[in-house]
Amino acid sequence: MTSSPPLPVAEGLFQTQNGSVHLRGTRCRNCNSHYFPVALSCRNPNCHDKQVEDVLLSRHGTLYSYTRQHYQPPPLFRMTPWTPYTLGLVELPEGIRVMGMLADCPNEQIHIGMTLELTTRVLYRNDAGQDVQTYQFSPATQHEAAA
Amino acid sequence: MRPVYVLGVGAHAWGKFPDKPQLQLALDALRAALRDAGLDWRALQGLVAASSRFEGGMGWGLHANEILQAVAELGIPATNVGGGCAAGGIAVHTAFSMVASGECDVVAAVGAERMPKGFIPRPPGIANDISDTDYLRWVAMGATNPAYWALETRRRMHDHGTSAQTLAKASVLMHQNALGNPLARYRKACTVEDVLASPMVSDPLHILEICAVSDGAAAVVLGSQAQARQCGGRLIEVAGCATATGQFGDPSVRVPTVSTAAGHVTSHTSEVVGAVRRACAMAGVMPTDIDLLEMADNTAWHVLAWPELFGFFEPGQSDWMLENGQLGIDGRLPINPSGGFLSFGEATTAQGVLQVCEMAWQLREQATGHQVQGARLAQSAVLGLGANGASVILKA
Repeated sequence: MTSSPPLPVAEGLFQTQNGSVHLRGTRCRNCNSHYFPVALSCRNPNCHDKQVEDVLLSRHGTLYSYTRQHYQPPPLFRMTPWTPYTLGLVELPEGIRVMGMLADCPNEQIHIGMTLELTTRVLYRNDAGQDVQTYQFSPATQHEAAA
Repeated sequence: MRPVYVLGVGAHAWGKFPDKPQLQLALDALRAALRDAGLDWRALQGLVAASSRFEGGMGWGLHANEILQAVAELGIPATNVGGGCAAGGIAVHTAFSMVASGECDVVAAVGAERMPKGFIPRPPGIANDISDTDYLRWVAMGATNPAYWALETRRRMHDHGTSAQTLAKASVLMHQNALGNPLARYRKACTVEDVLASPMVSDPLHILEICAVSDGAAAVVLGSQAQARQCGGRLIEVAGCATATGQFGDPSVRVPTVSTAAGHVTSHTSEVVGAVRRACAMAGVMPTDIDLLEMADNTAWHVLAWPELFGFFEPGQSDWMLENGQLGIDGRLPINPSGGFLSFGEATTAQGVLQVCEMAWQLREQATGHQVQGARLAQSAVLGLGANGASVILKA
């Protein structure tokens, strides 16, 4: 049996370019505000033209805050097997902070200010036997953090 | 605008009432408020209800219509307002405006809620795609409401050195305040050790540092000065009453979004800060004039962070104020003498109305068991989904 590529938890949330995963967001061409996920319009009340375009956001950011989830969230969220995990708030160079799960990040290594990079992880296998993945942030390797 | 006064307030106790429909809770609270005012249904010239998404309102949020059809077909205007967990505060503001404008002499506002158990689930009927962040936050990361507050809490610990013990003390204080309040659901004293030993939900927040969900209902009757004089008792004026929405660049991690602005171009929690400032401006008062604050303490973090955001204290100062007893019922700024959300549990749309009831009882010196001595000026603050904020200032 050949395995099909993993499905995203939601269409249009992230995409792979040149082998690297990026979050899909929106940039305002007039005031340079960035949004995640993609937005219909710029929300800056002082921006009048609000010409927006979809962009791929930076893959690296710094950890602004985090929390470990000890209780299993209600349905819609699926994770097999379920284990407590860490959620982070990651500041990107575009001037936004993005929430996401942290991967490969043992408790004793997590600290505010650490450099993280975007990755993907499989959360569960759906009823059709396909793996479903979400975006996560993992500690950046030295090489990539410097890039 | 003409001055507006509180004619009567009333509330149903908070708890779990599986045998009492939402409509019954609403009627009980309204009857209590009318009795308090010494009025009957025929005195009402308008009814404003906070729309609940959980029960009643014929599925369309028509809770005021449902009440009138159930108990008094007066022909008066029925207004139903949304605002998530701030809907109660917004309902009071609408009733205030109807009296202040001169349109009506007597208007009631009511919020009544029966909450489902556990984490608040996503509402039905919205597309399962990235246009809805309330979908995304679940499927992509399982972000529960406590997770959002925990992110704020962890950052506060980093920025201000707030300790786990201080956070626990905020919860201990709320539970202590509730001991003397028969309306509160949780009336059991707890210690810092109890809080820290309670199950961790989203660390650093323990279950005793996060508000539960409850059933409950509250109502207020507002009216003109002539009406207030007829009703008798101490005159309680609605000195300030404001609603506001969020501002661009607000860095708060807002449920149910999955991203926020990194800059600090405007206040954190700008929807509530905006409402608090507007209410103060309307009343012509400064934070230092306020004798007590009834605010939405969804978690222990809120007890510390919100008074600072509103300008009552400098950033980071709440920890010291709490540790030195200044936030207690006999402190410099009593916070939630009622016991707050941590002792009541949140009955979402009823909460903003209950805050006004509590302030009225405090200013009339009827808050038996949790009375703030000599209180003359009280302020409320509540936050709701959709970046809604509301704040009311009562003056004796």
